[in-house]
Amino acid sequence: MSTLRFENITVRFGSVTAVNDVTLEVPNGAVVGLVGESGSGKTTLARAAVGLAPMQVGRVLLDGVPVSRHGPARQLQMVFQDPYSSLDPRMRIGDTIAEALPEVARAEREGQVNRLLELVHLNPARAKDYPARLSGGQRQRVAIARALAARPAVLVADEITSALDVSIQGSILNLVRTLQRELGLTMLFISHNLAVLRYVAQRVAVMKDGGIVEEGPTAQVLGTPRDPYTKELLAAIPGR
Amino acid sequence: MDSLKRVLRTPLGVGALSMLGLVFLLAIFAPLLWGEAASETDTAHLLAPPSAEHWVGTDSLGRDLWLRTLVATRLTVLLALGATALGVLLGILLGSAPALLGRRIGRFVTAAVNILVAFPGLLLCLFFAVIFGVGEVGAVFAIGLAGAPTFARLCHTLVAGVQERDFVTASRIAGRSRAYVLFKHILPNIAEPLVVQATIGAGSCLLTFSGLSFLGLGVQSPAFDWGRLMNEGLNRIYLNPLAALAPGLLVITAGLAFNLTGEAIARAFNVETSGSWVTATAAARTAARKVPAAFSAANTVPREVLRVTDLQVGFPGSNPVRGVSFDLRPGEALGIVGESGAGKSLTGLAIAQLIEPPGQVDGEITFLGMPLRPDGGEDQRKLLGTSMALIFQDPMSSFNPARRIGEQLAEISRVHQGMNRRAAWERAVDRLRAVRISDPQRRAGQHPFEFSGGMRQRAMIGMGLMAAPKLLIADEPTTSLDVTVQQQVLDLIDSVREEEQVALILISHDLTLVAERCERILVMYAGRVVEDIPASALAVAQHPYTRLLLAAVPTLATDLDSPLAVIPGSQPDPSTQFSGCAFAPRCPLADDICRTREPLLRNAIPPIDDTRKKPGLGITLKTSRMRLELNLGGKPGSPVHTGQVACWHKGEPLPAPTLIDDDLPDETLAGVGR
Ligand SMILES: Nc1ncnc2c1ncn2[C@@H]1O[C@H](COP(=O)(O)OP(=O)(O)OP(=O)(O)O)[C@@H](O)[C@H]1O
Ligand code: SF4
Ligand SMILES: [Mg+2]
Repeated sequence: MSTLRFENITVRFGSVTAVNDVTLEVPNGAVVGLVGESGSGKTTLARAAVGLAPMQVGRVLLDGVPVSRHGPARQLQMVFQDPYSSLDPRMRIGDTIAEALPEVARAEREGQVNRLLELVHLNPARAKDYPARLSGGQRQRVAIARALAARPAVLVADEITSALDVSIQGSILNLVRTLQRELGLTMLFISHNLAVLRYVAQRVAVMKDGGIVEEGPTAQVLGTPRDPYTKELLAAIPGR
Repeated sequence: MDSLKRVLRTPLGVGALSMLGLVFLLAIFAPLLWGEAASETDTAHLLAPPSAEHWVGTDSLGRDLWLRTLVATRLTVLLALGATALGVLLGILLGSAPALLGRRIGRFVTAAVNILVAFPGLLLCLFFAVIFGVGEVGAVFAIGLAGAPTFARLCHTLVAGVQERDFVTASRIAGRSRAYVLFKHILPNIAEPLVVQATIGAGSCLLTFSGLSFLGLGVQSPAFDWGRLMNEGLNRIYLNPLAALAPGLLVITAGLAFNLTGEAIARAFNVETSGSWVTATAAARTAARKVPAAFSAANTVPREVLRVTDLQVGFPGSNPVRGVSFDLRPGEALGIVGESGAGKSLTGLAIAQLIEPPGQVDGEITFLGMPLRPDGGEDQRKLLGTSMALIFQDPMSSFNPARRIGEQLAEISRVHQGMNRRAAWERAVDRLRAVRISDPQRRAGQHPFEFSGGMRQRAMIGMGLMAAPKLLIADEPTTSLDVTVQQQVLDLIDSVREEEQVALILISHDLTLVAERCERILVMYAGRVVEDIPASALAVAQHPYTRLLLAAVPTLATDLDSPLAVIPGSQPDPSTQFSGCAFAPRCPLADDICRTREPLLRNAIPPIDDTRKKPGLGITLKTSRMRLELNLGGKPGSPVHTGQVACWHKGEPLPAPTLIDDDLPDETLAGVGR
């Protein structure tokens, strides 16, 4: 049971207000999509959730309990967009994944790592490789495996498919849906791609200039958008 | 071991290391061999001048000064190393304090360090010498402590650079402690620059220590180091100058040995960490002034900017690129797509002549009429340096983190176009402005880490525009950027292309993105081009792989109740030997022919109008100057595939899109989530 709730979050960097009084709920077992233009504060909000951005006002609640404001909380895991920066070039990928596993016996570790690698369609033999030997797409799969390794209650995914191969994008999106359906994984899924959000998210929130301009069930937001900015976003989709 | 080999590969490295080795050999063996002889008094030769017996003469007790100088090596080196170790250790502690103790305390430490750095080192040194008293130990502390602030600052900058990378964040989110992150992730990633600094630092420590001893603040008799010997020799400098000069020379030699070694490691390390690309790019840019007259003269401008014929790239045991051919017209935008490992990047690198041994490139590449060869001479380097620009996926590793952006841009014009410092700087500022970086004057003076990802990428494009390129190769230029910044960077590339008539090769895994930006698309699979298609004709793509790729992307019309199409399996490894079509194991149309005979690129079949009124006919007329594409009889406005396809069953209908549900076995899921 894990409902993630942002309550009146405000994040300022110096004189810039990146996130302005945002309240948003990610219900237990649901995927909530977050869409918006660059600099609208999506990533900052996500980082605030995992304790990486300084909140001036507001709090993040997990099942009604405030998440520690000092330092990251393990129940919240994040997957980043940039697969080149998210893996330590000096660490074997197997170790990178194992690092995020909750305390498990050494003997079990290898099995878990292998399973996670298979889960993201990588050959378990790759566990011994350093990131330099992986292509961009393969690195991102490792990053996803690492986030899943921590057995998070809520997963925050920031543009996780935008650097992925088209051929694997589909399987990652399918995976997101499977995880959500079978395990009731709760997820905040950030993407610029409305079609992707439509596919994975039950609810969608649209962000602009640090605030949420529209939030609701996906079909409703995409079908009958109320906010002019949402309409603009929909109109910008190629092939429409 | 590997890095040692790299250091030894340069003449500088060999020279510096042998010098340093000699110093260490002396430090170890001199006291063993001549320790006694050096303290033997010879009353017959007090204060003797240099002679065959006593090369540098003797001191007031008749001891041989040359032997004493040699024996003093050990103490001198040991003390210098001791002081360095102290300084480095303290420096690392102070420098990583912010990472270890958190922001607030860290800020305090950093401020203190910054104040200390502002004090002249020698002053600190004298200050500590007074506190700790005159003598060896005092001097070690004095010099060590005096060196610490500078080292701390360097360490702090390096740590801060690594700290903001996502892998550190990820480790913290995974619940790892600050200390764990520091030792497991941060320190290993800054080890090389620290080693370099420490080595160079040891050189300065040696000099400073000798200075202190010379002033009488360091080593006290009866112990002696080089500084002490110089001090003693000074009294009789007019009678026996060698007595002071000999240890002095050794001080300089040893100091240089440390410094040059540091320098050599630094060079070797650059090659290692920033990847061979950067150096190779620099090498590729080692071109001067202008394009050779033959290539810039208007009347000989070749029809195509680039012609690639049967390009192959091989590594020992694998063949990642197996025959790629295409032409590129001036100003044309060509996209190369394909999944990870298809050979897209290697194709780009091979064109730019950036494949390094043991990699091997075969086939013909003609750029602006000049055939490119791996061992191409000065002309080729000039041509590549000024007419071809490259943009890579990871802009951070393409810049030297320690130097200002402006300098790095200016360097290209200075070295390769022969501009003077000032003019080159101005050009750099101008280019930064051209890539829409606001306040370019100020930004040029900043370091790469002060730029956001998008700005770095723009600066990188600016770098490519320092000369006047005819071809821009952009390899996943925006993959690591925030999506809307991606749009800006791509818009920028577009406008540059229009303004300066630059041809573009855009390499990306993102088919939709490439389709929006390019006129023509090469779809690569397992090292081959499987479809060469006009972007406008994607809807009528004929290769099963291209069509499946298109089907795997969700649109606003995708059925929400079924899983997305997934191409099962994965691309074969480049070390695999094929007998037939590389895509056969994943292809729904594969049959025995596919599995035994490899299909070659052939013209796409003209589309058949589904109402069967009249068949459409696509005709391509190629003349020496242009390519005329006609569409006869087809439905007006319907896209026509005028490209090429490598498939035995091109254009045949795919069985009703087999949607493979990648539902995973329960035990796989059990390990994930709660
Ligand atoms: N230096 C090398 N030594 C051996 N194999 C290499 C080397 N560089 C690349 N390869 C292999 O060549 C193949 C093609 O690599 P390339 O980087 O061109 O792929 P790509 O299509 O650009 O993939 P991505 O989309 O992930 O960037 C890969 O299987 C890769 O592992
Ligand atoms: S040649 Fe055969 S296996 Fe290869 S893509 Fe065409 S139909 Fe599929
Ligand atoms: Mg690549």
